[in-house]
Amino acid sequence: MTKTNNLLTFENVNYFYQTKTAEIFALNSVNFEIEKQHFVSLVGPSGCGKTTILSLSAGLLKPSTGTILLDGESKIDTKKIGYMFQRDHLFEWRTVWKNITLGLEIQKPKNLDQKLKLAEDLLKKYDLYSFKDTKPRSLSGGMRQRVALIRTLALEPQLLLLDEPFSALDYQTRISVCDDVYQIIKSEQKTALLVTHDISEAISMSDKIIVLTSRPATVKDTIFPNLNGTTPLKKREDSQFAGLFDKIWRELTNEKTTKKA
Amino acid sequence: MKKQPKKHKQTDFSKAHQTYIKKLKKDKFVVIFFRIFVLIAFLGLWELFTHFSIIDPFFVSSPSRIINQIITLAKNGSIFTHSLITLGETLAGFAIATVLGYLIAVLLWCNEKARKIFEPYIVVLNSLPKIALGPVIILWVGAGTSAIILMCVLICIIITTMSMLSAFLSVDESKILLLKSMNANKWQILTKLVLPSAMCEFVSVLKINVGMSWVGSIMGEYLTSKAGLGYLIVYGGQIFKIDLVMASTTILCILAFLMYYLVSLIERKYRK
Repeated sequence: MTKTNNLLTFENVNYFYQTKTAEIFALNSVNFEIEKQHFVSLVGPSGCGKTTILSLSAGLLKPSTGTILLDGESKIDTKKIGYMFQRDHLFEWRTVWKNITLGLEIQKPKNLDQKLKLAEDLLKKYDLYSFKDTKPRSLSGGMRQRVALIRTLALEPQLLLLDEPFSALDYQTRISVCDDVYQIIKSEQKTALLVTHDISEAISMSDKIIVLTSRPATVKDTIFPNLNGTTPLKKREDSQFAGLFDKIWRELTNEKTTKKA
Repeated sequence: MKKQPKKHKQTDFSKAHQTYIKKLKKDKFVVIFFRIFVLIAFLGLWELFTHFSIIDPFFVSSPSRIINQIITLAKNGSIFTHSLITLGETLAGFAIATVLGYLIAVLLWCNEKARKIFEPYIVVLNSLPKIALGPVIILWVGAGTSAIILMCVLICIIITTMSMLSAFLSVDESKILLLKSMNANKWQILTKLVLPSAMCEFVSVLKINVGMSWVGSIMGEYLTSKAGLGYLIVYGGQIFKIDLVMASTTILCILAFLMYYLVSLIERKYRK
């Protein structure tokens, strides 16, 4: 069965929310699945409901109708999820080590020693061990984002939800952090769902790209980039890159103009 | 550890840089010089004007008279008694108001409904001049130290609650979301995120409360007291002994400054 190979499945998911003046129809029958160890991106016009999809996947929101299956179960176990935000949200009053173990402090898992060891290994592996006792303010933007990623990985989540984690970085840092994060996620054999505005980021990092329509969002197209290259930066050099960019660009611009008209 | 760049010696700097640093030093010197100059000039002119009876020392006293007054009070020991009484009241009011105000803010943060219900009352209480409650306070707790401390508490507590609550509420929503995605409960969100991020605000509330608690205790002593610096000031005014008023005020200034300085020491330690 293919089902066992899917970590996350959205089946006919609708989502409404209420405001004072209206009921907003945010997601319209959204269907997609994410295979284990795949890197999937969500792109779509701004405000279309990408973050809503992440919040639903994290179990922070419940779908109005439809089902969401995480690892085959409809009750989402938040411990299987790791959420990364636009900004690193490191706590300035805590050292790097204290930031990384924040989630462990909260969840107090039974195999704490083992998890602390894992956190320590991750720090060593990704060249941050010597900064263990420093406060985050003396780190560079890229290093901070790496610390944020390790904080997420320390909880050993199965699915990583990445909500534009690179958008607050300057261009150069962003490209290199993309590479870092991609390689860390691949070498730790994690599954990731990335929300991004940046089409080239989506193409260079993903095994699969889900293109959404404007609100109420539904899946418009699914693209499998399959580019050559070991890192996102190398993948940008693939000859198909420009063609894919153009395709997604058109789909998104069409989306905007049709809605205006 | 991140490598710190080596500190340059003065001689490593270019000529322009040296001139720039010289200018900085000079500017700092000028500021300090005039700061002291203004004080000396003020005291000097005050002394001179009263000495040559250009203004009447009966109404304005003079630096030398103030010093003499303080020496007299120190000799018979009464200055220490009065200062200690007022200091005690102030510290008690300061501590009670800070702790209670902080706790109320935490409770209001925890419960959104309660926050909305009590909001207008807090705003009204904040704008009410607390001295208006003077007679009521005396009726409730009797004339004496407890009335003075209560006045002090009333003056500080509302502003403590309001400032702390707004600091708690200004915590980044998505940081809360981060903790929620880690499965944190409300208590963990409070202790791991909200309280530590409001630490800076807490220090500035302490600073404000230093000033406010002195206002409270002196006002309380004006209202009802048999001893204390506020009592000395009122008493001095009643018997037209302006030297006593000024001497008490001077001591008050020094004590308030020392308390403020202590708080800023705490701040510096925390900011490190």
